[in-house]
Amino acid sequence: MRNDPIVTDPVPHVRVWDLPTRLFHWSIVALVFVSWLSADQGLMTIHLWSGSALLALLLFRIGWGVVGSTTSRFRDFLHPPRKVAGYLKAMAGGEKPLHAGHNPAGGLMVVALIAILLAQALTGLFANDGLHFSGPFANWVSEETSVQATTIHGAIFNVLLLLIWCHVVAVGFYLFVKGDNLVRPMFTGKKPHSHVPAGLTLNFTRLYVALLLLVLTAGIVVWIVQQGAVL
Amino acid sequence: MSALAYLGCVGLITALGVGLAMQLRPPFGHAVRQFVGLETEPRANTDSFYAVRVAPLLDSRCAGCHGARMQKAQLRLDSFAGLMRGSRHGAVIEPGRIKDSELFTRISLPASDDKAMPPSGKTPLTADEMTVIRLWIAAGASGVQRVVAGAPSPVREIKLPEVDPRAVQKQRAPLAAAVTRLQSRFPGVIDYESRSSANLEIHAALNGPAFGDAELAALLPLKDRIVWADFSGTAITDASASALAAMTSLRTLRLSNTKVTDTTIRALAPLKALRSITTAGTGAREVALAALRQRGLAVYGGGDAQ
Amino acid sequence: MAEPNILDAGQLLDRLQRQAQTRRQFVGWGAGGLGAFFLNAAEAKTAPAGEALNFARDPSTPLSVLPPQFTPKVKRVIYLHMGGGPSPLELFDHKPVLTRFNGHDCPESFLKGKRFAFITGIPKMLGGQFPFHQAGKNGTWISDRLPHLERVIDDVCLIKSMRTDQFNHAPAQLLVQTGDQRTGHASLGSWVTYGLGTENQNLPGFIVLISNGGTTANAGKPLWGSGFLPSVYQGVPCRSAGEPVLYLGNPPGVSRSERREVLNAVDEINRHTYEEFGNPETVTRIAQYEMAFRMQLQASDAMDIRREPQAVLERYGAEPGKTSYANNCLVARRLAERGVRFIQLYHWGWDSHGTPTDEGLNVGLVKQCKETDQPTAALLADLKARGLLEDTLVVWGGEFGRTPMQDNHAGGEETKFIGRDHHPSAFTIWMAGGGVKTGMTYGETDDMGYEIVKDPVEVRDLHATMLYLLGFDSQKLSYTYQGLDQKLTGVKPARIVSQVLA
Repeated sequence: MRNDPIVTDPVPHVRVWDLPTRLFHWSIVALVFVSWLSADQGLMTIHLWSGSALLALLLFRIGWGVVGSTTSRFRDFLHPPRKVAGYLKAMAGGEKPLHAGHNPAGGLMVVALIAILLAQALTGLFANDGLHFSGPFANWVSEETSVQATTIHGAIFNVLLLLIWCHVVAVGFYLFVKGDNLVRPMFTGKKPHSHVPAGLTLNFTRLYVALLLLVLTAGIVVWIVQQGAVL
Repeated sequence: MSALAYLGCVGLITALGVGLAMQLRPPFGHAVRQFVGLETEPRANTDSFYAVRVAPLLDSRCAGCHGARMQKAQLRLDSFAGLMRGSRHGAVIEPGRIKDSELFTRISLPASDDKAMPPSGKTPLTADEMTVIRLWIAAGASGVQRVVAGAPSPVREIKLPEVDPRAVQKQRAPLAAAVTRLQSRFPGVIDYESRSSANLEIHAALNGPAFGDAELAALLPLKDRIVWADFSGTAITDASASALAAMTSLRTLRLSNTKVTDTTIRALAPLKALRSITTAGTGAREVALAALRQRGLAVYGGGDAQ
Repeated sequence: MAEPNILDAGQLLDRLQRQAQTRRQFVGWGAGGLGAFFLNAAEAKTAPAGEALNFARDPSTPLSVLPPQFTPKVKRVIYLHMGGGPSPLELFDHKPVLTRFNGHDCPESFLKGKRFAFITGIPKMLGGQFPFHQAGKNGTWISDRLPHLERVIDDVCLIKSMRTDQFNHAPAQLLVQTGDQRTGHASLGSWVTYGLGTENQNLPGFIVLISNGGTTANAGKPLWGSGFLPSVYQGVPCRSAGEPVLYLGNPPGVSRSERREVLNAVDEINRHTYEEFGNPETVTRIAQYEMAFRMQLQASDAMDIRREPQAVLERYGAEPGKTSYANNCLVARRLAERGVRFIQLYHWGWDSHGTPTDEGLNVGLVKQCKETDQPTAALLADLKARGLLEDTLVVWGGEFGRTPMQDNHAGGEETKFIGRDHHPSAFTIWMAGGGVKTGMTYGETDDMGYEIVKDPVEVRDLHATMLYLLGFDSQKLSYTYQGLDQKLTGVKPARIVSQVLA
C-alpha cells in the first residue's frame, strides 16, 4: 500500500477508485447486458460464458472487498440500517454529506446488487431450458429442483431489473439534482477534492494482488463449471 | 434540476420504457393492461368446444412446459387467456387463420425440426389431436362455440390397469386355501376373474345335474368374492336360495334350466351388485322378475328352454 | 377308465437334460426353459399378473382355463368372416354422391399410383346398386339387402373405416385372421385359446365352421392354424351336417370300450416315445387323442341341430342334414352355450367382381345376403335372449372392401353382371356383444366411398380392441419365437379403439 500524492490539475482531484474496482463495475454492466441478450435470443453457450464470467467477477469482488483498496472494502461502505436511514434523512434535508467511496445508501445498493447477481448466477448453474440446454449442475439435482431453479432464475431477473432501475435513478438523482457526478469517477477513478471529506488517507492495494485474486476466482469458476459438466 | 423535475423525467422515461416493454413483450403488455383495468381476461364457457376438446388436449400435451410449473417463452397454454394472449413473441393463435397461427405451425413441424412442438423427446400430437386444434382455429378460435363440424370423436384414454402382483396375492390370501381345496374338489368350476383380481367365477353349468344344492353349499366359504356364477342346467333348487343371497358381490347370475322358482328370485333382492340374470326354463314367473327389471337388472327370461 | 397319468415333472427334467432333443424349440429353449414351462404350470393358473404373463400349463391339459390379464368384458368370440370382401357400398355405406357419378369415368386421382387386382384402364364409377334407408334408434344407414340385421341394428357397432394394405384375398385374409399377411403366424382363435384356454375340456377350444360351396377360404388352413404356437391351439374344422368331425366316430364293429383299449395302447407307445425324445408335442398328442375320445360323445350332441325346436330352426333358416351358413350359426350358438372359447365361421362368395353370375352385385350379392342375413340376425337375437350376448363378442366382416368403380376386366359396359374390384383403402365390419358400444357407427369414408376421412382403424387396432375386450393387453399376450416376443398385433403400435367401447 502506498499513498498517492495530490495531483495538480485545474480542478484538484483525488484518486478514490482503484482500477480493479472500476474494471469490475463496467465489466458487470457489459456482462449483465450480454447475459440478458444471449438468453433472450437463445444463444445459450454465450449465456453460459457470460454467466460464468459474472460469477468469477462476483467472487473476485467479494474477495477484493476483503483485501482490496480502502474504498473497495466492505468495511468502508457497509453500514447498519440506522446509519443508512440517517444518511437518507440528511440528504432529504438538503445536506450533502461527503464520502470518498460509496455513500451508505450506495453501499446498500452495491450489496443488494452483488447478492442478487450471485443468486442469479448460482440458480443459473442448476437451471434448464426444457429443451437442449441446461446449467452445469442441472443433472445433479432432481427435475423438480431444476425447474424451481429455472423459475427463480427467471423471477430474480425482474428484481435485478428493478434494482438496476433504482441504481440508475439514484445515480441520476445525484447527477441532475445534487450536482454530484458519480459516473465519471467510476471511469477515471478520481473525484474532485471538494467532493471528498478532508483529511483522507486511502490505501490502494497493489495491482498484482488483484490479478492473483482474479486468477484464483476464475480458476475456481472454471473448475466448478467443469465439475458440473462431468455428469 | 429540481428534485421534482427530475422525478418527473424519471417517471416519463420509465413510462416510455414500460410502454416499450409492453410492445415488445405482449404477455407483459396484457398483464399491465389487465392490471390497469383496460382489458379483461379472455374466458371460455365450460361447455364450449374449446373447454371440452381443446383445453384437455393442451393440458395433457403442453401445460407441462407452458403452464403453472413453467412458462417457456412466457406462453401459458393451461388457460384460455394464456392461449389467446400468446407468448413473448406475440399471439400464437390467429382466429380463423391457421397459416398465421404460430401454435399450429409449430405442432405441424416434422419432429426433426428444432422448432417442432412438443420438442423432440416428447410424444408428438396425434393426427386427431392436430385436427381438433386446426378445426377449432379455422372455426374462429372461439371460447363460446359449442360444436365444430368435422371434429373427430374424442378418444377415451384406455388406461390398462397397473397391477402389483404382491397386492393381488395379498387380496387372495384370506381365501386362497379354500379356493385351492374347492378347486381340486370341483375341477374346472372355480376360477379367478382375472390375473389381477381376487374375485371368483363359478362355472358349474358344464357339470350339469352332478352339481346340486349340496355342492353349491360347499362353495359358501367363497361367498364374498364370487362375482360371476353360471348354474345353468344344474340340479340346484330353491334350497340354494339363501346360499345365493349370501353372495353379496355377485354381478352376473345364470340360472337357466334349473328348478328354481320365484322363491329364489325374491331371495336375490338384497344383492346390490347384481346386474344380469338368466332365468329361461326355470319356475320363475314374470311378476317376480319384474321386480328385478325395475331395479335396472338385465333379465334374460325369454328364449326356448333347452 | 382312469385317465392316464402323464408324467412326473422331476423325472422329466432329468430325462430332458440327458436326452438329445430334436425339435428346434427345444434347441432354443434348453432343458432349463422347458423344465420351467412344466414346473410353472401349477402356478400359471393361480399366479397373479407380473411383468411377463405366464401361459404355461400341464402339457396333458393344454387348453385348461387361464384367467385373463384383467377383468374382461367378454368370455368368448364368434367371428363371422365373410370371405371375398363384401361390398360396403351395397350394404352399409350410403353414398348418394357416388350414385350421381354413376357411369362417369373414374377420376385420374383415384387411379394414380394404385394397384388393382383386376381393374385396367379407366373404369366407370358405379353407384350403389340398392336403395338405402335409415334404421334403428340412431338412424343407422343400411341398404334394403339386410332386412333381418336391420331389426337388430341397435345391438351392433358398425366400423366403416377399416383399412388394410393387402389387395388380394389370401394375404388379406391372413392379415385379418392372423395379424400378418404371410403364413406362419398364429390365428386369432389360436391366440385366444393360448391365452385363455377353453371352459369345456371335452370340445375343442377353437372350432371352425365353413359354409358355401365346401371350399375353404383362399388362404386355406393357415387361417385357423396355430403358426408358431403349439399345434394344440389350432382351429378344428367341424361340419354342421353329418359327422361333426370326420372319422371321429368308431368304425362299424368297434365299440367304445374297444376303442378305449386301442387308445390305451397308443398312449403307452406315445409315452415311451416321449420318454425317449422328450417332445412336448407328444404329450399334447396324447391329450388330443383323449379329447377326441371324449368328443365322440360331446361333439355329436353339440353339433346336432336336430335337437333344437322347430321354431328355432325356422328363425335361423336352418335345415338339418345340409351344410349351410344358417346351420353353422345355430351350431355356433350351441357351442357358445357349451363353453367353446372361439368359434370361427367362414362364408365364401362375397367377391363381387361381376364376372360369373355368382359374383355379380345384382345376382351373387343378393344370394349371399339371402343366405346370411337371417341367420346372422337370428344368432344375435338368440344370444341376447339367452343372456350370452353380454359376454360374447361377435365380429362380422371380410378382408377388404370394394371399389366405387366398376370392375371392367370382363367387358365393362357390355357385361350383364355388375361388380367391383378389391379395395383395401376402406371397408366395413361390425361388432356386437359385451363391452361394445351399440347402435353406433364409427368412422367415415369420403363421398365416393374411396378413402377414409375420419377415424381410420387398422386391422391390428381391431385385434388390439378384441384382445382388450377379452381382458388382455395386446402387448402382453406374447410368445417368444425366433428371438422375438411375437404378438397378434405385430410390431407396429396398435391402438385400442376406445370410441367403440361402451
